[in-house]
Amino acid sequence: MESKKEIKQPLLEISDLFASTENLTILKGVNIKINSGEIHAIMGRNGCGKSTLSKIIAGHPSYEITSGRIELCGNDIEPLEPEERAQSGIFLGFQYPIEIPGVSNLEFLRVATNARRKFLKKDELDIFEFEDLVKEKLDIVKMDSAFLSRSINQGFSGGEKKRNEILQMALLEPKIAILDETDSGLDIDALRIVASGIKKIANEQSSIILITHYQRLLEEIQPDFVHVMADGKIIKTGDSTLALELEKNGYEWTDEFINKN
Amino acid sequence: MNIIERIIKSDKDIFDGKSNLQKISLDRLRVNPIPNSKNEIWRQTNKSKFSRFLDFKFSNDFYYPQIPGHSNIQNTCRIIIGENKRIDLKEKKWEIKELEEDEILNFLKQKIIQSDTTQNWSNLLNHFLTDRKNIVGLNISGKDIPYLEVICNSVNNFFNSKTIIINIEEGTSVSISQINIGDKNSALSISSYLNIGVDSVVNHGIISFGKNKSHIINTLNVSQYKNSEYNLGSLQFEYDFGRLEININQVEGNAKTNIKGMQITNNNEQISTYANIAFNGPNGFLDQLNKSLANDKSHSVFEGLIIVPQIAQKTDASQLSRNLLLSNYAKIDTKPQLEIVADDVKCMHGATISQLNEDEVFYMRSRGLTLEQASKLQLRSYYQEVISFLPISKERWDLLTLLLKNK
Repeated sequence: MESKKEIKQPLLEISDLFASTENLTILKGVNIKINSGEIHAIMGRNGCGKSTLSKIIAGHPSYEITSGRIELCGNDIEPLEPEERAQSGIFLGFQYPIEIPGVSNLEFLRVATNARRKFLKKDELDIFEFEDLVKEKLDIVKMDSAFLSRSINQGFSGGEKKRNEILQMALLEPKIAILDETDSGLDIDALRIVASGIKKIANEQSSIILITHYQRLLEEIQPDFVHVMADGKIIKTGDSTLALELEKNGYEWTDEFINKN
Repeated sequence: MNIIERIIKSDKDIFDGKSNLQKISLDRLRVNPIPNSKNEIWRQTNKSKFSRFLDFKFSNDFYYPQIPGHSNIQNTCRIIIGENKRIDLKEKKWEIKELEEDEILNFLKQKIIQSDTTQNWSNLLNHFLTDRKNIVGLNISGKDIPYLEVICNSVNNFFNSKTIIINIEEGTSVSISQINIGDKNSALSISSYLNIGVDSVVNHGIISFGKNKSHIINTLNVSQYKNSEYNLGSLQFEYDFGRLEININQVEGNAKTNIKGMQITNNNEQISTYANIAFNGPNGFLDQLNKSLANDKSHSVFEGLIIVPQIAQKTDASQLSRNLLLSNYAKIDTKPQLEIVADDVKCMHGATISQLNEDEVFYMRSRGLTLEQASKLQLRSYYQEVISFLPISKERWDLLTLLLKNK
């Protein structure tokens, strides 16, 4: 990323967020503030609520906000449908990207890109203009154009699916991208390609949340802040050295922290 | 008084102007003038819709149909039943010619006499109603044959009836599309016969699309001979009452049948498909997929029966019914069945009913697609499997657009 000289704008602010699914409370008071140009990492054990937080921000209908607030650029997003959140600039990179047989990747990407462009009051792209744009973006994740003619994620390897997610991020130019375990299931070469793609897309006007268990993605993309999540809330925030501490000491201390509090 | 009531009451005028063939059919119909509602293939039929089908005034008159799709019909042989154009096409490698009068009459007479008055009621009604100018009989032979398009249409406020007989000679390879166009407030009866000769390959599409309050009963009767391959794609939509009866007989076994069908119901429509596949020799193969998509308060029915007698050893047959329910008020009835006597066979059948996949929908919505756009893309993928199987020109019949426009 370029040097951070611009004045930072608050992009995403989550205040005392409680959320549940099927009468089970999963988030128990999450607070986080993310400014433009920042990269945040959220780490924690399985089941601590990381993925739930990402889905709630994206508007997954299976989850309900019971109290608290999520603001994007100062506006409450709770009343917005998932597509309205996406059009406003929220992007969720899925841990397990969904395969949709029969739906062309190219057509899907074009409709999605035009939905975002429409929101940004930019001209929608016809099929030829879009092909030019997508070919340019394919380079970022070193994907072959043959992927475009296939069905969404169908028959893609784990690495290809994750690269396809980053391609979508590149096309949609979100304000805030939440990448949920984008590093899972990637070999070291694929991880480098994905990390390099993310770095190329990152800019001073947007921000990124990396949800991960491991340090290895953070070696490629250095975060400005690292948050540790446990039992549905953020229990510690630090700089990138916190991730190194976690790598060294593991998450056992989080249990003690939760028990004490 | 509808046509059945006239048959039951032995209306004197009913014989007026009728051919011998029609009179023989009438005699057969009188044995069983109304389909038995306890019979499996009529049990699910909506009585009021069926009654409405019969209520339209019958007409043998021809009206040129409004044919949607592009007008470019190069390298296509188009036949509109009832138009009465002489067909005699011959090239070096192939020939399409009309069957002789005797061949048509003898063929239909045999079929009528052999018909079971319950199982083949729809055919008998068709043969009683259809006059000679609405019967087309063709003999096809050769290779590199132009795409054959047969159009059957009904006319606003009338009940029309058409019959087509196609004899495919040994070693022939041909693609045929039957396009059934239902005008608003109309009824159409069609009986299609295909005799597929030894070593022949037939790609066949039946596309039935109606308008407001169209009604249709289409029976398809296929006889397949040794080493033949029959690929059928069918699509039915926009009919208030639609019924496709598929009867396929692998006469000697050793033949291959692939079927992909789809029916789409909206509003209060009822569309049904009944498939009866009989293997009368060894080494037969069947792969059948029937898809239904039911919306609003509509009703979709699929009943399939695979018959494997003792002689049909080594049969390999699969029949699958996949259904998508788009509304809490819509209804889908599906019943794939096997009747197996032979002991060395591989047969499977199955049925699934599901709703649109929520994970897929959320994935697309999380990329900015509206629920409507996401559903459309998903439906497109659902349709695509069957549409890509139809032997029709994409340029001429953009069925995906037509289907999605109707959603």
